[in-house]
Amino acid sequence: MIELQSVNKIYNLGQPNEVQALYDVNLLIEENGMVCLRGASGSGKSTLLAIIGCVFPATSGRVAVAGKQLARLPDRFMTIHRRRTIGFIFQQFNILPDLTVLDNITLPLLPLGISPDERRQRAAELIERLGIGHRRDFPAGQVSGGELQRVAIARALINNQPIILADEPTAHLDTSLSHDFMGIMVELKKAGKTIVIASHDPLVTEHPGMDRIIDVRDGRVNVS
Amino acid sequence: MKKNRAIEKQFNLLDYALSSLWRRKLKNLGIIAVFALVIFLVASFQILTGSLTETAERILAKTPEIVIQKMSAGRQESIPVIYLDRLADIFGIRAAVPRVWGYYFNETSGANYTVMGVDRAAMPEGKNLAMAIEGDFPAAGQGEAALGREVAADLKLAGRRTFSLFRPDLSLKSFRVSGIFAASTDLLTADLIVTGLDDGRDLFAIPENRATDLLVYVTNPNEIGTIAKKIADRLPDTRVLTRPQIHKTYKVVFGWRSGFASICLLTALAAFVILAWDKASGLSAEEKREIGILKILGWQTADILVLRFWESLAVSGLAFLVGCTAAYLHVLFLEGSLFRPVLLGWSVIHPSLKIVPVIAAADLLLIFTLSVLPYLAATVIPAWRCSTVPPDAAIK
Repeated sequence: MIELQSVNKIYNLGQPNEVQALYDVNLLIEENGMVCLRGASGSGKSTLLAIIGCVFPATSGRVAVAGKQLARLPDRFMTIHRRRTIGFIFQQFNILPDLTVLDNITLPLLPLGISPDERRQRAAELIERLGIGHRRDFPAGQVSGGELQRVAIARALINNQPIILADEPTAHLDTSLSHDFMGIMVELKKAGKTIVIASHDPLVTEHPGMDRIIDVRDGRVNVS
Repeated sequence: MKKNRAIEKQFNLLDYALSSLWRRKLKNLGIIAVFALVIFLVASFQILTGSLTETAERILAKTPEIVIQKMSAGRQESIPVIYLDRLADIFGIRAAVPRVWGYYFNETSGANYTVMGVDRAAMPEGKNLAMAIEGDFPAAGQGEAALGREVAADLKLAGRRTFSLFRPDLSLKSFRVSGIFAASTDLLTADLIVTGLDDGRDLFAIPENRATDLLVYVTNPNEIGTIAKKIADRLPDTRVLTRPQIHKTYKVVFGWRSGFASICLLTALAAFVILAWDKASGLSAEEKREIGILKILGWQTADILVLRFWESLAVSGLAFLVGCTAAYLHVLFLEGSLFRPVLLGWSVIHPSLKIVPVIAAADLLLIFTLSVLPYLAATVIPAWRCSTVPPDAAIK
């Protein structure tokens, strides 16, 4: 499902501020599982997540996600592949605060030419399932942190992508909301999604639903 | 199905662009207001210039085809009326008549009038002249005068029907007002006083056997050039002016004035576009973050450009519509009052003619090209530069 071979990532290559973030990473993540990239801040786990998520390419090495080789894939095709394959959940949620909850959730569907009726229909089920139906028409800037997290999850699922990537998803949540979040992730895993979470929160790393822990330290990967 | 999706996608992006503009309504309304003001100034000028040129052409169509002036040492002087006899056998001349005219300075108001003495009975267009007057045409030798509207106002007649002007020897010559020129002819008659030929001679102390110039009317307008050349051959000490030449002079005068002002206004427009470029190229952190989020969510660079295009088109298109409509209303209801002095001169007496706005498609296209297109470029290109970088900033 996700395969990385000898992947290196160097930021600002050839410039005075050149930084190597990943060293010779080899990784295989099977589908329908929940995997945690565990590591301290600056260890390289967000970089690894971004490469898996087709946000930017690796400097060298071979990356395959959902059967597609990403090396040297032009930006346009990377975007199309990301759109079809990957749903993102960010640490800061990255919700547009002036848009309503519904509009934020349906944002990925706009460039696909999905009509407003179909967008509402697709979002309705997710909104109810995640318990934010009463906030549907509220500006996102006016809802709580836990609700924002659910908006982000709904947005990651709206296009029914098979892979969910979450970067420090519980960093801004209290214990109760973090438990709720992991509960939703377990449900999604059962529904057949592949979930990759980058986190150093014990509540995530030690969650019983987690299938595998991958330690990332100083840009190198140890698979446990 | 695929085609429907493509159309639906454009509707979605347009819808998102409009809602995005609405979310930043204060900022965008400010841009629209300034942009519309600049377009209003440029469009007002174009419409006013077009309207005045059209009005001048309409009025000049009724003037004599040829005017003969006697020249001496490069200056105009009175012409012997006997010169008319030398034109008698030129084929194609319908009529040739003497005219007396000159400028009269009113020391009280500081205004210059143009006083013209004509023999209406001898002029083929005498009927037209009479129709342009509200009242009667001045009777020959009766001390009557028809006045342009601005002259009537400047003389402060206030219901009186008589007024006096000084002869060169400072004796007074009285006139009775027989009529006032119609407002539609104001461009040419605003500062005009028309009297009979003899009264004109009397006022300017011009001898009976001389006139200021001679007017020639031709049978076939296509022959104006040929006949003018024959006249010039017969009367070598004269200057022969044709109606097309006078048309051209008016066009050059309006063109020069409007060109000068247009350069000033286009400079303002360029300054606005540069400002828009400067502002747009420095996208705010919030705007950059939004572009990053949209890219992460699967929006392509092209989608973001289309979004930005719709936003910019809505802003500049609305400003264009508002600016052009306001310019049209400015010329229609306020007579283009902001720019009249520039185009018609700053003299004490200037025409207050009723202007009918004339909008040429070419002018609108020119304004559109010089305003909307640069604004689109100034806003879309920076968005393109921003959206081609990897969107990882949004996930940090």
